[in-house]
Amino acid sequence: MDDLATYAENTWCPGCGNFGLLGAFKKAVRALGEKGVSREKIIISAGIGCHGKIFDYLKLSGLYSIHGRSMATVQGMKIANPELKPVTFVGDGDAFGEGIAHMIFAAKRNADVTVIMHDNAVYGLTTGQFTPVSEKGFKGPSTPKGSVEEPLNPLALMLESGATFVARGYPVKLNHLVNLMVKAVEHEGFSFVDVLQPCVSFNNTYQKYNNLVEIMDRLPEGYEEAMGVAKRRDKFPIGIIYQEKKPVFHQELYGDWNPVTKRMSREERIEKVKGLLAP
Amino acid sequence: MSKDVFTFLVGGKAGEGVRKAGSVAASVFAHIGRRVFHMDDYMSLIKGGHNFSVISTAKRRITSHYVKADLVVALDKRSYDMHLEHLAEGGVLVFDSDAVKEGMGLGVSLLAEAKKYPNPSLRLGVGSVAILAAAVGMDKEQLKHVIEDGYPRDIENNVAYAMTIYEMVQPKIGGKFKLDAGDNERPILTGNEAIALGAAAGGLDVYYAYPMTPSSAILHYLAAHDKELGVVAVHPENEIAVINMAIGSVVAGARSMVGSSGGGFALMEEAFSLAGMVEAPLLCYLGSRPGPSTGVPTYTSQGDLNFAIHQGHGEFPRIVASPGSMEEAFYLTAEMLDLVWRFQTPGILLTEKHLGESRMTVEIDAGKASWPEPVMHDKEEYKRYLDTENGVSPMLFPPSEELIKWDSYEHDELGITSEDPDTIAGMQEKRRRKAKAIVEHLKGMKTVNVYGDKGPVILTYGSTTMSVLEALKAGGIDATVVQPIYLEPLPVWELDRCRDREVIVVEQSCSGQFATLLREKAQIQPKAVIKKYDGRPFDPVELAEKLEGVL
Repeated sequence: MDDLATYAENTWCPGCGNFGLLGAFKKAVRALGEKGVSREKIIISAGIGCHGKIFDYLKLSGLYSIHGRSMATVQGMKIANPELKPVTFVGDGDAFGEGIAHMIFAAKRNADVTVIMHDNAVYGLTTGQFTPVSEKGFKGPSTPKGSVEEPLNPLALMLESGATFVARGYPVKLNHLVNLMVKAVEHEGFSFVDVLQPCVSFNNTYQKYNNLVEIMDRLPEGYEEAMGVAKRRDKFPIGIIYQEKKPVFHQELYGDWNPVTKRMSREERIEKVKGLLAP
Repeated sequence: MSKDVFTFLVGGKAGEGVRKAGSVAASVFAHIGRRVFHMDDYMSLIKGGHNFSVISTAKRRITSHYVKADLVVALDKRSYDMHLEHLAEGGVLVFDSDAVKEGMGLGVSLLAEAKKYPNPSLRLGVGSVAILAAAVGMDKEQLKHVIEDGYPRDIENNVAYAMTIYEMVQPKIGGKFKLDAGDNERPILTGNEAIALGAAAGGLDVYYAYPMTPSSAILHYLAAHDKELGVVAVHPENEIAVINMAIGSVVAGARSMVGSSGGGFALMEEAFSLAGMVEAPLLCYLGSRPGPSTGVPTYTSQGDLNFAIHQGHGEFPRIVASPGSMEEAFYLTAEMLDLVWRFQTPGILLTEKHLGESRMTVEIDAGKASWPEPVMHDKEEYKRYLDTENGVSPMLFPPSEELIKWDSYEHDELGITSEDPDTIAGMQEKRRRKAKAIVEHLKGMKTVNVYGDKGPVILTYGSTTMSVLEALKAGGIDATVVQPIYLEPLPVWELDRCRDREVIVVEQSCSGQFATLLREKAQIQPKAVIKKYDGRPFDPVELAEKLEGVL
């Protein structure tokens, strides 16, 4: 029996890259459990799109958010109770179209959350439009003559925004992806995992990725080399591209406070308010 | 105008310490036990332009400033020209003799004297306090204390300047407006401060906001007192992040609140519906200013009533309430926190710039604030959307061995997405039952304030209530003032009493949104609707005349 599954009927297309991602995350949760990170503390969110359905398929607590906003949702979870380990699943259109400001700012402030991006370079659930990361010339129902925009590079953008953990994985390399997810959740600070996810219905990239994905043999040395790896167009190197230790947002904001577990008693709060109300 | 009231007006450019002088003047009155109402009129700029501060004081409770002042201090030519007509009968106008060569009233070389010190323009406000001190009969020792308390930076120069100005005006206007002491010294609060403190007293854990006038002061206040109060204040990248973070915090168990105004609140609308769907208890503060769009950022309006009541797409219950005074703002904020947690749905605390940023002496007993006690899970298997008789499902927060799923899609009881017709209809009905439960609960609460019992009924709400109450005093008018504190659901059960009486509606909107609401929901047909929509709050004397005109 799969102790991380719910009764929700899986409605992804047969062969969808999301199946591998879901399997990898379940393995990561179990591996984290063995390392002492209890699954009760892993709290999840997701945006809206094919990727978001993973929320229903995982027997983990959290909030199924709205399109583009789950990065904000998980930051709010962390601020409220820093004992939790928030993880959000996002789509590439979800994160870098609707929600790009939240992505940049979550990285900028080094919010201690994990973002796993289902990167299929297409809006699947709305029938195949181009996304912010689709290649120029991508043909979809909103761009029948081909997209005229250059794509964003999510890895480079997250690096430049201040992300302290940036990685790329591929579900076909399952155990490699599991390891990236474990490391991302363990990382203290903003973790971004770009998962190359073929969409069998609208952007089938299996062949391309099988040919061009390459497991990196070492962590790039520093920001400049990481940026070089992020910007490569001949190959898709997978692995941890950048990792750095920096103070995290909630600790910078309020030190060792915890709004939920350290909440003042009513009596204490009233006394404080009375003090401020004195003329 | 009722002569139990003394009004002081100081006007000048932004950056000349006008608002600060207003605050110090208010403290002078409060310190001798008098009641104070202080309104700042300022433009959306940092330096220059024209700002003025009006402070009215009385020994009784006073709920509005008066536009006509007994003592007017004009720090520049523009203030002189503008406020000449704001001088009450028997009043005194003091102006800067360098800025106005031949003026009516008393010219004093305010700027020339200030130039003997560093940062002369910053010092002009100090001069206006010295003029006030002389006019109300304070001696030099008392003035010295006022300056020391009010201007702790550069005390020596400020005191020296104040003494020079005092000596110049004292022989001419000294003791002209001697003020009796009142009974008790009371704290002076803005509505925004009252809301921040009410939220803290009501159990707030986290406050999120993006700066926007006139709501920013709550963010500033809570950020300044975060450690002391144990409330976290966060300023994220935009209002969309604000409300989505707040909902995330709710899921983790924190009592969360957001604040904004007009356009910023419009950006929150998407996630306001999210809160309705996932049944998130979330308190939203909406401080109104004249719209549409950017409108008039630093002025007042009640044009957002419909916006608040109809916030969000789809059908879900929401609670909207508007406080009629600074004291009520304090208690109502805590009460709203309690209500949104009790019913797990979003609520809006609707106010105006006039309430949020005006200052008033208050009597508040913090111990009387509500404190949320939501229904918590205690059975075996947890279901986030357990279908109950009143539609309210018990709450549970992570970390927990139970599965806690909040879902923005329509969902089943466990919180798993569903497109099943029976499940959809069942959940719609669950949320509808919650709306009915809110009405039943409100019926047991004080949802309407009634002042007086004679004469015709004046229906009003929000900060306009304060204007109406002061207008009745100013004009010696007998009327019954009925102020619904709750606007959604509207307490129609309390408004029945108005239906067979002569009703006048007073509100600060152009289309008469409040009057329309009363007609539609409570079948009240007002005899007249007095409206004001120029961004300025009512003057009690002007409003009294308008009321007399229709009564």
